[in-house]
Amino acid sequence: MTPAVPLMLLGLVDAAFSGFRAYAGRDARIRKARGNLRAAGRGLAVGAALLLAPTLAAALLLATPDRARTYAALTSGGWGFLLPLALYAAAVLLSLAVYFTLPFRAGTLAMVIGLGPLTLLRPVAVATACLAAALNHGGAPALLVGAIAGAAVLCVEPIVYRRWYREVQ
Amino acid sequence: MLRVRHLEISDLITAVDLADGRRLPVRRDEVVRQLRDSGDEPAARIVAGLPADRDGTLDPDAVDRLLISVHTELQRLSEELRIGNRLVHLLGPLFTAIRADGGHPGPYRLVDIGCGLGYLVRWLAATGALGPDVELIGVDLNAALVGEADRLARAEGLDCRFVHGNAFELPEAATVYVSTGVLHHFGAAALAGFFRTQAASPALAFCHFDIAATSLAPIGARVFHRARMRHPLGRHDGVVSARRAHDDETLLRAAAVPGMRALLYEPRGLSNPFCTTLRPILGVRPQLEPPLRQALGRASRRLVGPEHLGPVRGEATR
Repeated sequence: MTPAVPLMLLGLVDAAFSGFRAYAGRDARIRKARGNLRAAGRGLAVGAALLLAPTLAAALLLATPDRARTYAALTSGGWGFLLPLALYAAAVLLSLAVYFTLPFRAGTLAMVIGLGPLTLLRPVAVATACLAAALNHGGAPALLVGAIAGAAVLCVEPIVYRRWYREVQ
Repeated sequence: MLRVRHLEISDLITAVDLADGRRLPVRRDEVVRQLRDSGDEPAARIVAGLPADRDGTLDPDAVDRLLISVHTELQRLSEELRIGNRLVHLLGPLFTAIRADGGHPGPYRLVDIGCGLGYLVRWLAATGALGPDVELIGVDLNAALVGEADRLARAEGLDCRFVHGNAFELPEAATVYVSTGVLHHFGAAALAGFFRTQAASPALAFCHFDIAATSLAPIGARVFHRARMRHPLGRHDGVVSARRAHDDETLLRAAAVPGMRALLYEPRGLSNPFCTTLRPILGVRPQLEPPLRQALGRASRRLVGPEHLGPVRGEATR
């Protein structure tokens, strides 16, 4: 089994959330469900485009003569890349579940010790994932593809913000 | 070594003539000097980067745009921390107590002092959480913020209104005064005057939410504002606000004014600092305390008066 599919899904979900974050704090209306959905869609579109970069990088690496060995390294590195991100995603999902299902005090707790700090930790999660990709027998090819993928997902929010939400709505 | 005084940039870059509400020019170098004198060089650098005309007067339009932008991000924090729900948790029982009192038939009037973009008032209007017999008014000295609050309310067809000026000079008396994140802008001495003015009015109660002064607050504010606010001014003022927040004793002491029973909800020791980022100081006409406690139910155990401070300190508040 290849880790490419779960990694791509994770990247696209993250891109949708990045779109939401780019919009958050730029529209002071009370009812903004439609705006949130539009922003998530924009994040998804930008993320889908940016995630072509690591896909292309992997394809180019696989075009080398030693394809089987590179494929094995990328697969192994991909699982290593996925593990820290899956843990991060689990922490985010847990915080979101607490935030949306429990009363406001627990919601505050989820925001203060969960979702707020986790946003700041996104670059750390990506850096850890890159390191894990290299260490999990992925070597330089997995590190390269992981770094490009990490940079791609981290760029979604600033791009969506600059393109659509630089000004208050 | 310089003693650091905690000044918020947003307090310094706008000035209003309190007599007529007129906007006054603000000199950039004067604000920079004040911040440097207070030992806050990063804040001075932020202000030094704001646009000014050739005379060095801060561009009022740019300042307004910046404040609207920062307050819009600030609203995001209120949304994420569910400040609306937190307020209704207390204001709902408070209005139940007022209705039960019998001596005060509606309609009632809630006045949000220093409403900024009017998030609380607009949220209450959008949710109808306090009932149709409560008129919702937001008041602020900053004309740009009030104008934006009004624009946003009209854009969504919300039944509330906003007034530029002094909340205590409205033609109609408030039933309840509220605020969020305003109290730390007052020094301890001015705080008592603020509460006395409300006690001297026909208002039946006040309920002012501000940052809970815990040792975690400045650290939490730093992390949270870093994660959520984009402009350095918002990040700076958010952390300074947490440092300026009044402790329980100061609030209870200041709110113990004649004609009002001072009550603090979720004081230290009765709340988890991770779950209570903002908590209110209340003043209610004494006859309203029993029905308020009844309406609050089990939650009333978190509502304490000056006696909570202990016998010696409690005496000092009387």
